Amino acid sequence: MSAAVDVSGTGRPRRFGKALPGTLWALLLLTPALVSLASVSFYPIVNGLYLSLTNTSLITQEHEFSGFANYVQLWGDAQFWNAWWHTMWFTLASTTLETVIGLGMALILCEAFKGRGLVRAAMLVPWAMPTVVTSKMFGWLFDGQNGIINYILLHAGLIDQNVNWYGSTQTAMTTIIIADVWKTTPFMALLLLTGLQTVPNSLIEAARMDGAKGWITFWYIRLPLLMPTLLIAGLFRALDAFRVFDLVYVLTGGGPADSTETLSTLSYKVLFSTLQFGYGSAVSTAMFVTEGIIALAFCLYLVRQIRRAQ
Amino acid sequence: MTDMKKGPVSGSKPAAHVTIADRRQFLIGSAGLLGAATLGMATGLGVRKARAQSRAEISFASAAFFGKETFGDLIKAFNESQDRVLVKNIELPPPSSSTEVYQGLVQQLARRNGTPDVFSQDVIWIAGFAAAGWALPLDQYFPADKRSAYFEGTLNACTYGGKLTALPWFMDSGMFYYRKDVLEKHGGKVPDNWADMATIAAAAQKAGDIDFGYLWQGKQAEVLVCDAVEIITSNNGAILAPDGKSSLINQKGAVEAIQFLHDTIATTKISPQDVLSWDEEPSRQPFTSGKAMFMRNWSYVYPIAQDAKASQVVDKVGVAPLPSFPGGKSSACLGGYQLGVNANSKQREAAIELLTWLSSSETQHRIALNFGLAPTRPALFQDEKIKAEQPFMASLEKVFTGATARPITPEYAKVTLALQSGISKALVSGNVQAEMDALAAQINKIVG
Repeated sequence: MSAAVDVSGTGRPRRFGKALPGTLWALLLLTPALVSLASVSFYPIVNGLYLSLTNTSLITQEHEFSGFANYVQLWGDAQFWNAWWHTMWFTLASTTLETVIGLGMALILCEAFKGRGLVRAAMLVPWAMPTVVTSKMFGWLFDGQNGIINYILLHAGLIDQNVNWYGSTQTAMTTIIIADVWKTTPFMALLLLTGLQTVPNSLIEAARMDGAKGWITFWYIRLPLLMPTLLIAGLFRALDAFRVFDLVYVLTGGGPADSTETLSTLSYKVLFSTLQFGYGSAVSTAMFVTEGIIALAFCLYLVRQIRRAQ
Repeated sequence: MTDMKKGPVSGSKPAAHVTIADRRQFLIGSAGLLGAATLGMATGLGVRKARAQSRAEISFASAAFFGKETFGDLIKAFNESQDRVLVKNIELPPPSSSTEVYQGLVQQLARRNGTPDVFSQDVIWIAGFAAAGWALPLDQYFPADKRSAYFEGTLNACTYGGKLTALPWFMDSGMFYYRKDVLEKHGGKVPDNWADMATIAAAAQKAGDIDFGYLWQGKQAEVLVCDAVEIITSNNGAILAPDGKSSLINQKGAVEAIQFLHDTIATTKISPQDVLSWDEEPSRQPFTSGKAMFMRNWSYVYPIAQDAKASQVVDKVGVAPLPSFPGGKSSACLGGYQLGVNANSKQREAAIELLTWLSSSETQHRIALNFGLAPTRPALFQDEKIKAEQPFMASLEKVFTGATARPITPEYAKVTLALQSGISKALVSGNVQAEMDALAAQINKIVG
């Protein structure tokens, strides 16, 4: 470590460093990263915000400042609210399921057993798969005519005729959530596993010595210590789930009857099909704001948890 | 570690001067080289420019179609056929990625710098491109006598605001597929009205001859709008009023038609509920594997149905115009691609020359044979060579004759999204009148 500091702190600046104080030198080194971050992240956000205050449309060739007109329109747009609720529901359901199941998986993987390494690696396969591939696969699994899910349920006597999973407003969203849970639970399990491994074994052993059973050690020792990891993993997952696009786009395209329309698919349609860049940017900005609120809620809760722990 | 890292730094100190000097030398040298190269390129350009004066350079952008050759080969053939125009081919994604093709085209046209000079476009984009002022009106180059060689439906779709803003190239349309063998058992005559179709389909389904009576495409997607246009028009209904400023989708003609589609699933049960999540391919598969009696689909299905490797129903498939309601007439939704000239093109004459060549009888003939895409000139359907090599096209002519365009409006992109959502809601809920009323209000807001 100290060697590394030497190289950058005293070794290298021998020629230039004397003139430059440490912080300035650090800033200089950071500049390329900051510039690229600003150009690929900050600029698009600001430009999106600006576009959302205009009536820009590639088709009508208009590009004028329109104040909050887009947001007023958005407020009264039933399609936007429909998509907003679907997105919220998708985020809540998939994040909750993935956290709970992922925690279960992490607890199992935390135990020492033969072939644990292999299981841990194999577990990540669904997550490593491109979402489009997952989508196609689930498309076939839940196919109304030839899908294996219908076949199994029919032969188990749970349904008496084929269910058209993606063609019914009652089941389409649920099926998409199932696909997402299958794909992303391993990611949650992995995050939670690393969290679990930071819980000192000595604590658990001490509790066992005192006669605490497995459930008690989990509830009073592991879970509280895991809380920060759980919250951060949940936040990552929730923010990611909020942007869901490929699953919906491939499986249903938002239908039937708009029952699977999410904010991402809606903004894609408005932006790139109808080329209303102004209104589409307003949809994206609304999405961005909602995500910001979700992130803030998580962070506040996390801070409170940490304060309480202290 | 420290020493090792320091070593080369201090060690290179005397060498550093050399390096910098060398570098300077090198830079000067390369600057010279660069200059020379620029000069060379400039002269090269000069030569090319001189050549370009004798040969007008234009560009052509199109979605990529594949067959025995590609559109690139077609452009090469044009370049070799004459020595006045030199065309550069810009290949866009295949038509299955229609949205991407549209985006690619719009981004270029919106720059108004004249590229691409000539482009091919889906029939639903024509009005939008014309309204944005990107498409050059073609009336003076293709007067009435030249236009009469094309199908009327495609010409109507190429006309916006009374002006011809595109030229028909090749076409596709919705058509009615049926199983000859099953129909033989159940009446033998191809039904020409929807009620008969439903009766025959239900009978065949009840007799266990097939699993599904009638397949169509109900997925909330563009194809649903095509299915809707066909059935609504076949009941004398319409989506937009002739002036394009208001919607007629909540009128009797349209509502009855959508109700019929809903009934095929809910009441007569000749269609599986799955059609609500099917677009073209998912609905094609049960048909070519012999499970269905009737189907609405595009012309691409015919060659597949006759291909023993992909189909269980070789030689058992017939194609006819879609049925209609009593008092209405059969209607097929118009698809296919048309040609347009960029209004900002700096080489209009050359662009028109390419356009004329691409849409000529000879080139359409070649496209029919090598790509399997149907001509927009009725005369070509009588061609012996096309009849021999693409036998299905001859049986399609009467389907193509009455092809109906989807609503012609510069706001089509917004209208179609509203239609997809509204019709899907009606089909799922069965509250057809209520959903059509809401849809009409929404469309009126867009086009009014």
